[in-house]
Amino acid sequence: MTDTLVVDGLSVRFRLGARGRAGTVRAVTNASFTLRPGRLLALVGESGCGKSVLAAAITGLLPANAEVAGGVELDGRDLLDAPESVLRAVRGSRVGLVPQSAATHLTPVRRVGSQLVETVRALRPTDPDPRATVHRLAGDVGLPAEMLDRYPHELSGGTAQRVGLAAALAGDPPVLLADEPTAGLDRLLVDRSVDLLAGMADRGHAVLLITHDLRAARRVATDVAVMYASRIVEIGPAEQVFSDPWHPYTAGLLGALPDRGFTPVPGHPPELTALPAGCGFGLRRPDLHTCVPDPVLVWSGVRAVACEPVKAS
Amino acid sequence: MADRCTETATRPHGDRDSRMGADRAVGLGSPAEPRWRSAARPRAGTPRGRAAGRARSRLVAGAGLLVALAVAAVLVPWLGGLDERLVDYTAVRLPPSVAHPFGTDAQGRDLLLRGFAGLQVSLLVAAACAVVSTLLGALFGAASGVLGGWPDRLLMRVVDTVNAVPHLLLGIVIVALYRGSVLAVIASIALTHWTGVARIVRSEVLSLRERTFVDAAISGGASRWRVLRRHLLPAIVPQAALSTVLLLPHAVWHETALSFLGLGLPPHLASIGNILGEGRAAVLLGSWWIVTFPALLLVASALAVAGIAAWWRDRALPRRRSELGL
Repeated sequence: MTDTLVVDGLSVRFRLGARGRAGTVRAVTNASFTLRPGRLLALVGESGCGKSVLAAAITGLLPANAEVAGGVELDGRDLLDAPESVLRAVRGSRVGLVPQSAATHLTPVRRVGSQLVETVRALRPTDPDPRATVHRLAGDVGLPAEMLDRYPHELSGGTAQRVGLAAALAGDPPVLLADEPTAGLDRLLVDRSVDLLAGMADRGHAVLLITHDLRAARRVATDVAVMYASRIVEIGPAEQVFSDPWHPYTAGLLGALPDRGFTPVPGHPPELTALPAGCGFGLRRPDLHTCVPDPVLVWSGVRAVACEPVKAS
Repeated sequence: MADRCTETATRPHGDRDSRMGADRAVGLGSPAEPRWRSAARPRAGTPRGRAAGRARSRLVAGAGLLVALAVAAVLVPWLGGLDERLVDYTAVRLPPSVAHPFGTDAQGRDLLLRGFAGLQVSLLVAAACAVVSTLLGALFGAASGVLGGWPDRLLMRVVDTVNAVPHLLLGIVIVALYRGSVLAVIASIALTHWTGVARIVRSEVLSLRERTFVDAAISGGASRWRVLRRHLLPAIVPQAALSTVLLLPHAVWHETALSFLGLGLPPHLASIGNILGEGRAAVLLGSWWIVTFPALLLVASALAVAGIAAWWRDRALPRRRSELGL
C-alpha cells in the first residue's frame, strides 16, 4: 500500500455568515476512493459539483470557513487533521498539485526558470545541480528551454500549464493532483497536457485528474469517478464505466459527448446550499432515477454505484 | 466545532451543537453521521483561533469602552456641577481621595473633572481632524489615481512636499499664524495628516482599476465617472474609513503634543495635552497622579478606537468576512 492515497468518507461544507446563519454549502458529501500508484483516476462532473474543493481538502488548502469530516490518508498517515508542519513535508515532495490556471500561480515579477530552480532547491535540498534538474524537468514536460528565461505574463496558456506541471514534478511526488489542468486550452493542448499526466501514471505516479472534459478523461484515465451534487455517484475502471454506465447521470454525461449523440443532460444540478436527501439526480430526471434517502457507494467487484441497483460486473 | 448534521434535509444545517450535545446525538442519529471539524489552518494574513468570536469581543470591548468614555466626558463635568477651572490653593497636589478620586493638580483643580473635560475637547478636536484629513486625502488620492498622467504626478509631488516638512514643525507654523485656538489646532493637524490617506487611496485606485471587473464595466459602456462612483469608491470606502478611525488616536496624540509644547489649545481650556504638559513638573515632586490618570484616559480611548478599527477591517471586505465566518 505504498504511496496510496485513501480518501475515506470525506465531507466538506462551508458555513456562510456567523455560525452558518446564512446557510451551509455542502461541497463534498461522503466521498471515498483510493488512488494507487500507476493509476490515473479521472474525477468528472459538472461545474460546481465539488471537484476542486475535494482537491483543496486533500492538500489542506481550504479557506478558513470550511469544515471537514471523514479522513484522508497517504501511506496510512492522516492528512486531513495533520498539523501544518506535517503538511509542509507532504506538499510538493509527496503530493504535487498541478494548478487550475498555472499563469496566476507563478510569481509575476520573476523569471519562470528561477522560480523552478527555487522550487527544486526547496524540495530537493541535496540536489547538486538544481539548474540541470530544472532543464531535465522542462524536457520531461515538453517545455522549450528558452521559455525558462521568460516572465510568466510572456507565456501562452499551454506553456504556463507545462511550467505548472514541471513545478508540481520538482519534488518527484508519488501522488499528483491535477485540478482542471486543461481549463482554457484548445483540443491539441488538452491532449498534450493529459498525455503528460498519463505518462506520469505510466512511470508509477498516482494521478488524480479533476476535469469536466469527459473526452480528455476518456483519453487517458484508467479509472473514473463521477461526481454529482457533492457526491461520488459512480466509480470504477474507465473502460467499464464508459462502455456500460450504471448510474443514469453517468449515462447522461456520456450522451453529451459529440460522438455519442451530443445531447446534454437537461435541467440543472441542485443548489449545494439545499441538497436533497438522495444523490439528487431523481429531482432532475424523475423518469430515469429514484433517489434513496442516504446513498452510499455499493461495490460490486471493482465498480461501485450510489443510489442505483448494482449489476454483476 | 463538533457540529453534526443528519443527511436528511428535514433538519436545518445551521445547528449549533456543543460537544456534549453531539455525544448525546450518537444514540439518536444514524451511525454514519460525520464528525465535523474546522478546516482552518494558520496562513499568512489569517488570524489564528476563533476569529469570529475574537472579532465580536473586539467590537464589544472597543465600542463599550468608547461609549463609556464619551458618556463620561459629557456627564462628569455636567453632573459634577463643578467647574474644572476652579482653582483652590488650599487643595494643591492632593493625592487621590474620595473627594478628588483622581487627585488635584498644582493649582488645586480637580483632576477627575479636568481629565474628562480634557478628553471631551481632545476627542472633538481629534474627530474633526480625522474627518477633514480623510476627506481631503481621499479626494486627492482618488483624483490622482483616476486622472493619471501629469495631474497624478503633480498631485503626488504636492503630497511629497507636504510630507517633506516635519509634521510638528508645519503644525507649529499653522498654529503660530493663528495663535492658540481650537480651529487653528484642528487645521494644523488636518493639513499635515491627509497625505497618508491620499497615498493609500491612490494606490488602491491604481490597483483596482487594472482589475478585470473595471475592464468589464468599461466594455459594458460605463463612463469614467461611473466606474469611479460605482466600482472603485465602494471598494475604497473600507480603507478610507479605516484610516479615519486610525487617525483618531493619532490626532489626540498630536493635539497632546502641541498642547504639551504650549502651542496647542489655550491654557485655560482643559485638554489631555494641557494637563500632561502642566503636570510634568509635578511628577518630580512625587505627584504621579497628575499625569497618570489623564494619560490612562488617553490610552483607553486610543485602545477602544483601535479595537473598533480591527473589527471593521475584518468586517468591511465581503471576502474576508466570509473567510472569518463573521
